[in-house]
Amino acid sequence: MIRRKPIITASTDLAVEKRPRPPKERCRPHKWLSEESMRSYAESDGAFELYISKTAEERIRNHALSKKDDVVEVMGFLLGSIYEDGGKTYALVRDVATTDLDATSVSVKFDREGFERLFESMDDSCFNYVIVGWYHSHPGHGCFLSQVDVDTQTKMFSGPYHSALVIDPVNVEIAVFRLKEGSVEERPFAIYWDEYQNPYYGETVMARKKRSEQ
Amino acid sequence: MKLKIRNAETGGTVDMELEADNTVQEIIEGAASFWNKEEGAYVIRKGKKLLRGQQTVTEAGISDNDELELIPDPEGGA
Repeated sequence: MIRRKPIITASTDLAVEKRPRPPKERCRPHKWLSEESMRSYAESDGAFELYISKTAEERIRNHALSKKDDVVEVMGFLLGSIYEDGGKTYALVRDVATTDLDATSVSVKFDREGFERLFESMDDSCFNYVIVGWYHSHPGHGCFLSQVDVDTQTKMFSGPYHSALVIDPVNVEIAVFRLKEGSVEERPFAIYWDEYQNPYYGETVMARKKRSEQ
Repeated sequence: MKLKIRNAETGGTVDMELEADNTVQEIIEGAASFWNKEEGAYVIRKGKKLLRGQQTVTEAGISDNDELELIPDPEGGA
């Protein structure tokens, strides 16, 4: 008897919700951007294709810094949502997920025994995420996409909203890349924070008088 | 048996019909092929459990109307 292969009977695409981009007053450039990237940020009109929450950014930076002295790469997923504003889509990274890694100073992948911890980390994000890209570090090597990185990006993250974030904790650099028509290009991005992440959110904060005024 | 498979990198889903003796690898191949992806670059999970390629649907503990998730398995270099 011939065994039948699985058959796909229906499919659905993600319904992209309309939502305004984070306002400019709650966005900042990343402090590790190169001078050139910082100029691109300044010249932008504030309508980015990628926003990374302060929480996610801190987790990525701390992860990379935790292996800085060992000079070992780190890696994880960018968990986020895709929205539309003004007829253009943008990605909002809210959190990251990672696990135990099989890494050296020039290579990184998830440890084969680490997937269940990765899934727990993804579920801990507590929202209906889309993996909008990945991050990894290049300790001491600068920010660029190697051929291995380009292969990963081509095979898995070739959508218009997919990004590859590269961080170098030794040289204190960060950059985000995307594939566009088969070529790698840098993608400007902003760090944003939600109002509730303000430590004084919901409180009335009184300015303290200077000692000389008392 | 029917399954729903979610593509974690797009949020899209497919409904799949299969037999109890189909393998996890065949599920990955079917879904990856539908989304024009290379099956070797992905893993699949049911809840927090990684499903191994050569297991059959029965051995993997997959039940009717389960929802699985296709997840990329990236590799970085410098």
